[in-house]
Amino acid sequence: MVSAPRLLQELAEGLEKGLVPAGILNDPEVFELEKERIFSRSWVYLAHASEVASPGDYVLRYILNNAFIVVRGEDGQVRAFLDMCRHRGMRVCRAEAGNASHFRCPFHGWTYRNDGTLVGVPAEREAFGEGFNKVDWGLVPIPKLAELDGLIFGNLDREAPSLEAWLGEALWYLELVSKRSPEGLEVLGPPQRFVVNTDWKLALETFISDSYHTLMTHRSMIELGIAPRDAKYAMYGEQIHIPGKGHGAMVVGSPPGAKLPPFWGYPEEMMERAKASYPTQEQWEVARETRIFLLTLFPNFSLHNPIRKPDHLYPTPIPMLTFRVWHPLGPGRIEIFSWGMVEKDAPEWFKEKARHSYLRFFGSSGTFEQDDTEIWSHVAQNAGSSLGRRLHFNYQMGRNVAPDPNWPGPGVAYPINFTDENLRNFYRRYLEMMLG
Amino acid sequence: MDPTREILEFLYREAELLDEGRYREWLSLTTEDILYQVPVRLTRERPPEGGYGGVSERMFHLDEDRTSLEMRVSRLETGFAWAEDPPSRLRHFVTNVRVGEPRSTERGEEVEVRSNLLVFRSRWDRPEYTLLSAERRDLLRREKGTWKLARRVVILDQSTLPTHNLSFFL
Repeated sequence: MVSAPRLLQELAEGLEKGLVPAGILNDPEVFELEKERIFSRSWVYLAHASEVASPGDYVLRYILNNAFIVVRGEDGQVRAFLDMCRHRGMRVCRAEAGNASHFRCPFHGWTYRNDGTLVGVPAEREAFGEGFNKVDWGLVPIPKLAELDGLIFGNLDREAPSLEAWLGEALWYLELVSKRSPEGLEVLGPPQRFVVNTDWKLALETFISDSYHTLMTHRSMIELGIAPRDAKYAMYGEQIHIPGKGHGAMVVGSPPGAKLPPFWGYPEEMMERAKASYPTQEQWEVARETRIFLLTLFPNFSLHNPIRKPDHLYPTPIPMLTFRVWHPLGPGRIEIFSWGMVEKDAPEWFKEKARHSYLRFFGSSGTFEQDDTEIWSHVAQNAGSSLGRRLHFNYQMGRNVAPDPNWPGPGVAYPINFTDENLRNFYRRYLEMMLG
Repeated sequence: MDPTREILEFLYREAELLDEGRYREWLSLTTEDILYQVPVRLTRERPPEGGYGGVSERMFHLDEDRTSLEMRVSRLETGFAWAEDPPSRLRHFVTNVRVGEPRSTERGEEVEVRSNLLVFRSRWDRPEYTLLSAERRDLLRREKGTWKLARRVVILDQSTLPTHNLSFFL
């Protein structure tokens, strides 16, 4: 390896000065190291419990290039297994989603119960004899699996800290969404999946700290009156990071002078339920004042929850909520898994409108996200170019801003969103893992 | 004129407008109550009755009405729609057109049309391109003597999209 140590050293030397080497966004060696040091040791989002609601329900999900069957057993417990027959390595699950009590390998017929137990081997006695014990040959479970408020995460490292320890104070922010109603969330359907030639860190950047880009990237939506006319609206609100963890949130309220309804514009009944459901009074008070909320959990899970109208003529806001995974495929290449989410106990009319708000603005055809992915592709291409990769990006925004002593939530909060503070914190954690 | 001939001309005319980026004119080929859907497709086991498997009834890449299509077209006209400015080079190849029997409904004369679609897309000066293959299931309605698109469901031949966005119409 030649490039990776140099790029990481440049990052380490430049980060506190707000200098990030472009090359880390599209470098084969950096990516190889990320596979080993980041994605083989981090909690990675796999699925939502509502995707596997009933016994036997399964979905196929990935950490790096490992395919996992995330399946709810007959006992109601969610498990995740490597989709690889123990005999000769064939995929035993032949669909992206479904319901099955058993998985039968199409190669030689080994059959596994949906709790991973090997229960059938054709001609077992004749072919394998007395010494063979099926108990030793069940599907391989993911080293670690954890569920929190319906969010299911996996970890390839058996020695990894608990999910709760990993999230730390980010949990307080996740709960602004996950504990908004006693019933919790559900998916609006299967995820949209699409491939973008960019780096997972660049995609994440937009969702962890970059309100600044709305001005120009999403200018078309400002012109249509979908994004606020006050193009600086996104500078308001708080940007919060969790030191040592890499997570970051943006909590944007109503800009001065704007008349936006409280609590994202959710219906009154949902607001009442949230008030009773939030674990703390502070969470309710922050939620009440929030209009746009983004949260990114290190390394590659983001959620976005803005106040929004489902189209330019619709009279009232119908907020949307999306979960996404920036799934790394290679240097400068990702697959986006994008889910539309909604509160399970929301009224049906609202769920339908929330689905539209999501589809028309985010995801594969989203009028916001389609400009994001276009721009991210070009940045990654430049970052991989022979001259471009030697340059440094400017991460100096907001370096002189002092933290907000009055913010009621945990973490370190800054009273303005035009800052790269969340990213500098993200890269501190990134460096710690890449060098450790 | 023979309705099949009329419908072929409609589909070719439509493809021409989409390939030439004349989206406002394309919008005028749709009815006020148009439903335009591109469902998410998943890998599923073979359905016992044959036909298509894995077409989600719950999640879509596009699920549009006339208002939201109008919003998307207006966006393309702002001069700030970076995903299509500079525009993609698109070619809609429309083949295997199957025209049903026109019938009278309370909304007027309607006909179901199925066609196969191959869309070629290239962007900037890069030699790479993307192809999207699909079947379109349309409902056309005669309004004031001309056919208009009242419903379209695009069944993609892809689970994970090989492209960074769907910033164009299929």
